[in-house]
Amino acid sequence: MTDAYIVGAGQSDFGSFPDRSYRSLFDDAFDEAVGTVDGDFDPDDVDEAFLGTLGVGGRQLGLSGPAVTEHLGLHGIPTTRVENACAASGYALRQAVMAVRSGMADLVLAGGYEVMTDMSGDHTKWWLGVSGETEWERLSGTTFAGVYAQMASAYLREHDDATVEDLSRVAVKNHGNGAKNPHAQLGFECTMDDAMNAPDVAAPLNLYHCCPTTDGASAVLVASEDVAADLSDAPVRVSGAGAASGRVGLFQRDTLTGIPASGTAADRAYEEAGIDPEDLDFAEVHDCFAIAELAAYEDLGFCDRGEAPDLLRKGVTDPDGDLPVNTSGGLKSKGHPIGATGTGQVVEVFAQLRGDAHVQIDDPEVGLAHNVGGSGGGVTVHVFERVAEGEL
Amino acid sequence: MSGTENQRGIVATGLYLPRQRLDGDEIESAWGTSAPVDRAAVPAADEDALTMAVAAGRDALGGWDRGADAVAHLAVATTTPPLEEEAFAPRIAAALGLRSGIPTSTASRSTAAGGEALCSGVDSDGPALVVVADAPSGDAAEVGRRVGAGAAAFLVEDGADVVVAAEARESRDAPGLRLRERGGTDVSELDITTYERETTRDVVATALDRLELDHDAVDAASLHQPTGDIPHRIGKALPYDGAAIARGTVVDDVGDAGAATVAVGLLAALERVEAGSTVVAGFFGSGATAVGLGFGVENSPETGVENAIEAGEGVSYPAALRARGTIGETEVAGGGAHVSLPSWQRTIPQRYRLVAGRCTECGAVAFPPEGACHDCGARAEFEPTTLSRTGEVVAVTVIGQGGAPPEFVEQQRRDGPFAVAIVEAPATDGDGSARFPAQLTDCDPESVSVGDGVAGHLRRIYSVEGVTRYGLKFVPE
Repeated sequence: MTDAYIVGAGQSDFGSFPDRSYRSLFDDAFDEAVGTVDGDFDPDDVDEAFLGTLGVGGRQLGLSGPAVTEHLGLHGIPTTRVENACAASGYALRQAVMAVRSGMADLVLAGGYEVMTDMSGDHTKWWLGVSGETEWERLSGTTFAGVYAQMASAYLREHDDATVEDLSRVAVKNHGNGAKNPHAQLGFECTMDDAMNAPDVAAPLNLYHCCPTTDGASAVLVASEDVAADLSDAPVRVSGAGAASGRVGLFQRDTLTGIPASGTAADRAYEEAGIDPEDLDFAEVHDCFAIAELAAYEDLGFCDRGEAPDLLRKGVTDPDGDLPVNTSGGLKSKGHPIGATGTGQVVEVFAQLRGDAHVQIDDPEVGLAHNVGGSGGGVTVHVFERVAEGEL
Repeated sequence: MSGTENQRGIVATGLYLPRQRLDGDEIESAWGTSAPVDRAAVPAADEDALTMAVAAGRDALGGWDRGADAVAHLAVATTTPPLEEEAFAPRIAAALGLRSGIPTSTASRSTAAGGEALCSGVDSDGPALVVVADAPSGDAAEVGRRVGAGAAAFLVEDGADVVVAAEARESRDAPGLRLRERGGTDVSELDITTYERETTRDVVATALDRLELDHDAVDAASLHQPTGDIPHRIGKALPYDGAAIARGTVVDDVGDAGAATVAVGLLAALERVEAGSTVVAGFFGSGATAVGLGFGVENSPETGVENAIEAGEGVSYPAALRARGTIGETEVAGGGAHVSLPSWQRTIPQRYRLVAGRCTECGAVAFPPEGACHDCGARAEFEPTTLSRTGEVVAVTVIGQGGAPPEFVEQQRRDGPFAVAIVEAPATDGDGSARFPAQLTDCDPESVSVGDGVAGHLRRIYSVEGVTRYGLKFVPE
């Protein structure tokens, strides 16, 4: 089995682009990814594509993957649309890694796209809502914000020490990072005051505890060992690819304060990579809502249960801390174009490991990307390692 | 009629009045004229005649020493069924857990329907549950000024302390007194004052006069009461004094609740008399019909009317109009989460009565009872087991204005932000528990926290494809 390597990664701007099509946004991401390839890239060498999208708006539910690759001029390759809600492109990456590792392909495009801002708020809520548990959860009148808010209410109850301020700290940190990311949708800093005094969306979550709706695309080129050596001076190895499914409805899980599938996916990724969480130098975690980032710290083993707020307060996950999290700005600041989010995280991991990040940390070797579908029905965790010069 | 010889009559009663009440002061300040009633009950956006019928029916069953399974006949009455054409009774039977295939009868299209339903219950065999629920609507002026809502329920069987002594009817061709046009939602009146008053008085009084009882001995009477003065006018055609009429008049406290007003008034009359009294009820419907019933009260029942009338929470005039959907109705883009009707129907035992499942492999409780057991993973059959309707909030949030899924936007416009919780409820056999998501209702959503106790009530969930889906919502205890 060959290892899989990332040889290029790029994304479009994330934001609201009413005059752009999802296909043209993906062109941007693809072009930026190709721009990070060090060797001579020939589009004809792409063997296969896996593209993630929820299909918000239903504009092209059937064959939307081929619709994107034909727009790029990648004619004839097998292209598969991958749908796992907000983890769609995390799973697309997983498929690409599997295709390379299996030997069926040498160079695979993984990516995702979503256009969410070109329809009415009610229409958007309908599309997002049908990714939750529809028969019971949705029919209690809740939304994704509502489900994560329920998690937050249970978390604040379970851990006396945790407060709404801790939720706001996530926003302050991630906006601080996103302000330096030119691709970010909400690329501005926010103060603790901003993040405490915003209007409620679903108590205890306020506007600053929630990610925006976003248009955008991201693309990653996954290569086999031989091809990676040709295309990249500094490829990034996918050393662990973990994934897990979980109960779609929050109410059906044993815990209301974490996402069990995250823990399972992480364990699998760590085992495959042969590392422990302590070995990570940084991480991009799925912070669609502030409570999700706190839960991720615990689910991914960055700390024990109930200690996530402390990790945040002590600055451990700040850019200059021991384990920087979401140096890209996270979903909170960078934006969350459902299908594009998972491989969008990989864009940041790739940049960090090659020393090209906007908020560059000091000499990282091992990074992680954590992508959650819905409120935890599907999760991918990938571990990436910098390849030492001359190792390939 | 089964008659007095086997003492068939009312053995238990139930009542439901919406929590919200519009006070006469609000009406006066809105209209600048004196209010026609002191208070009117205002249904919430997720309440209708069906949910109120179920609430009153449950109340009656709760005061009866036999289970819902023992009910042999269901008679229901309303002028405002949720749909113009669709049977009203089967959903009530399902929500109350009555035995499947129970014979039902429905009276509608007239405010005399309550009397017809009571007669149907009296004339049937075995224990009968009679439920009268109504929530009329009118133009903004009417609903804002005097229209109310409510429901009363009566368990009728042999061996009663409130014996049905007599029943009688009268009908006459007298159109235009109170009507709702085909396809319309609003009740209207032509206000032909003398014609209306005389017809109402004559038809009701004639029906009552036919009752084989001593009218001089009547201690309380609940007579057709769209406003407080009408029953007194009817009473003057009969030898009832003002005090007897007052004992059965509730319109000043609950508003004109259509077919339900006289039924709720009957509960008041029964509670307000001494043992050994005679009580009458005179239902009237435009068209015109009247149903008279006479009762011998061997023991006066506690119907709870006095307390229920006193309870409730005041709302402003605009809030009352909004709650009723009189203002602010809108078409919402995006549609509802599509759960097909066959899928929905399959889950009715869960949605109405919290029927869960017990894993035949490991004994864990599953809700909903389908799929592999979440505990042991076995794809074993589930044995039906029921969750308690009282549980505990284990997670909660408030969905604010603008945050509701499209299918809940209309409700939110009418009732404001709502809380959505995950509720954990124990199995009624005491072994284990299960969690489910549920909307909270009839409360200040901000006031609910994890750890609070809540109790289930059938409410409207939403309507898609013209069909209203009902299910349990929860109210803090």
